[in-house]
Amino acid sequence: MAEVSAGQVARLALLFERHHRALFRYFVSMSNHREQAEDLVQEVFFRMLRYRTSYDPAQSFTAWMYQIARNAGVDQVRKRSAVQVVDIDTYVDRRAELVSASAGPEESASRGQDLALLRRAMDQLPEDKREILVLSRFQGMKHEDIAEVLGCEVGTVKVRVYRAIRALEQIYFALEREKVS
Amino acid sequence: MTCEQAKPRMTDYWSLTLGEAEQKEFSAHLASCEACRSEVSRVGALWQSLDLLPLEEPSGKVRERFYEMLGAYRQGLASAETQPAKRWWTMPAWQMAAAAALLAVGLGAGYVARGNGQPPAEVSQLREEVASMRQLVALSLMQQQSASERLKGVSWSYQVEPSDTEVLNALVTTVNHDPNVNVRLAAVDALRPFTGSPATHLAARNAVVQALPKETAPIVQVALIDFLAELKERNAAPELRRLVSDPDIDSGVRKRAEWALERMQ
Amino acid sequence: MIKRVGIGIGLAALAAVQLGAQEGRQQITMPFRDPSMPRKLIVEGGTGSLTIRGYQGQDALIEYTGREIPGANNRRGGRNDPPDGMHRIGGSRGLDITEENNTVRVNSQGIFGGTARDMVIQVPAQTSVNVKTMFGGIMTIENISGDIEAENFNGQVTINNASGSVVAHSMNGKILVSLDRVAADKSMSFSTFNGDVDVTLPADTKARFKMRTDFGDIFTDFDVKMEANAAPVVEEEKDRKGKSRRRVRVDGTQSGTINGGGPEMQFTTFNGRILIHKK
Ligand SMILES: [Zn+2]
Repeated sequence: MAEVSAGQVARLALLFERHHRALFRYFVSMSNHREQAEDLVQEVFFRMLRYRTSYDPAQSFTAWMYQIARNAGVDQVRKRSAVQVVDIDTYVDRRAELVSASAGPEESASRGQDLALLRRAMDQLPEDKREILVLSRFQGMKHEDIAEVLGCEVGTVKVRVYRAIRALEQIYFALEREKVS
Repeated sequence: MTCEQAKPRMTDYWSLTLGEAEQKEFSAHLASCEACRSEVSRVGALWQSLDLLPLEEPSGKVRERFYEMLGAYRQGLASAETQPAKRWWTMPAWQMAAAAALLAVGLGAGYVARGNGQPPAEVSQLREEVASMRQLVALSLMQQQSASERLKGVSWSYQVEPSDTEVLNALVTTVNHDPNVNVRLAAVDALRPFTGSPATHLAARNAVVQALPKETAPIVQVALIDFLAELKERNAAPELRRLVSDPDIDSGVRKRAEWALERMQ
Repeated sequence: MIKRVGIGIGLAALAAVQLGAQEGRQQITMPFRDPSMPRKLIVEGGTGSLTIRGYQGQDALIEYTGREIPGANNRRGGRNDPPDGMHRIGGSRGLDITEENNTVRVNSQGIFGGTARDMVIQVPAQTSVNVKTMFGGIMTIENISGDIEAENFNGQVTINNASGSVVAHSMNGKILVSLDRVAADKSMSFSTFNGDVDVTLPADTKARFKMRTDFGDIFTDFDVKMEANAAPVVEEEKDRKGKSRRRVRVDGTQSGTINGGGPEMQFTTFNGRILIHKK
């Protein structure tokens, strides 16, 4: 990404090919809204082009990208709501309104895990927990990069990821018991 | 290590990202702590199973819109070198924004150029950017699943410098391996500019010679034969003679091969 | 994660199999896993006629009719022939239908037992279609708004009411295409070796044509702004009796734009004509 800020616009195409799917999945996980997620992917790459000089080569590119992504998500919510000031928590909470009935039951997979249940558990996970789980588990981000995105200590990130997976476990088993009874 | 210290390290443990020393301490704790041991295996199974969730795929629109944006940027770049753009009112708003973002850079460079009469360094640097951007666009489009996209990639290849060996290689791969007849046909034509550049003409000629024996679709065979005749490529003569004498080959193709051989004399 | 229907093996598991009054007429429903995601239909092989049609539903409906191919393949008394006084109502005929990642794949192999299969497949209009047959008859694709890739070795390819993109090839047949709408940024290509290329486009289509025919003419009612061409080439060649004669060739591809130009559309035929109609 250092090249982008040096003016190598071309690199953006490479970065797009490398990252747009992960970015799309991040937005879908956060909003459960495919079209909006596609708009936001476009917006992120546009902002990268526009603000490319603000990129600090010492910084991790992934962290920079998700900072832009979160800001784009916040702006999206701000645009749509009458409230002027929206912080990140409101952005992630908004997802609750947008959650639609998720896809029909998945076929149960190997390793005895019921994927439909897992998907539902993910959907019910509080937004901040889901975000950190998505970043660390699905986007494969390093704890250091997540810390940079969220603006906190690496140690805090580790604790929060751990709490998120434990919370997911509780929801998952609660759903499983519900299903059995 | 205490339980409180062990817990936040579990995700690192599952992801195999613990440092060597930490790994040792963590394992030692597990060996002595039944509660953490069972938690590691129980929650670890859930952590791993997240891998099995189906991945959402973006639609093709995302890529289209992105490359349109880069295209607009490039357009803005071209006009910034000469005059401010003319037909901007016809552009969608976001395209205009992209082009405007460019113009902020491009126009500045243009004024510098006019000011001192020197070749504008910024403009030529931008021109380089655009060249490598075209290369990337062509390369990435040629790898798409849809034949329509790959065709688009092939037509983008006309916009790169004919000395660009990476794009030439991608075209050669397409000529030899693309499953779609129409895409191969378009790629054969797109090799033409590369036969005119000193850096690539040998590779391009060889590619045409080597593609002919592999090709089975008559429409592409004819395109390759015409190309070889035009190049007067003698190395292709044995293959052309084989085609002429092979009764299984379409008669139109055989006649064309015969004609090419005569033309090479 | 693959749903698979092997005819003759998996039939009982399917709710939607119908045996028609006609011999061997069957209908199979194969749902796309996720209606909100892009769908794709891939058809390979096939011996009879093939029709693919966009419709209002959500699933892929595959309907086929077996019929005997007259000729040497029908050796009486073979394993695949009906015993005296009986007729075939079903069985394994090398038809394989699978669904994976929202892609329905219909694989219809060979001409086992001398049976051709006329097949009609209905899919939601917004489905990308990729069809390739070697021994097929007429191929018809209608009302599809996704991307179409069609290749028919022997027969004609007819595409009606398409509104996505089309990339079509036939070796021996005609390419007959009518587009209701042309996306602003789709590249298309139509080619045949021995047939005509006949394409109808909306009047306001913006495109750059690249046209090439070796032994035919090019006709259109569009106002095509032709681009400068390579100069005609005068060549010496030998006629059938071995005498040499001169021939003027307008070599290679001719290009032109309509409505100010746009994405590339390529029209290629060796022995046929190119006709580009305004809708
Ligand atoms: Zn412990």
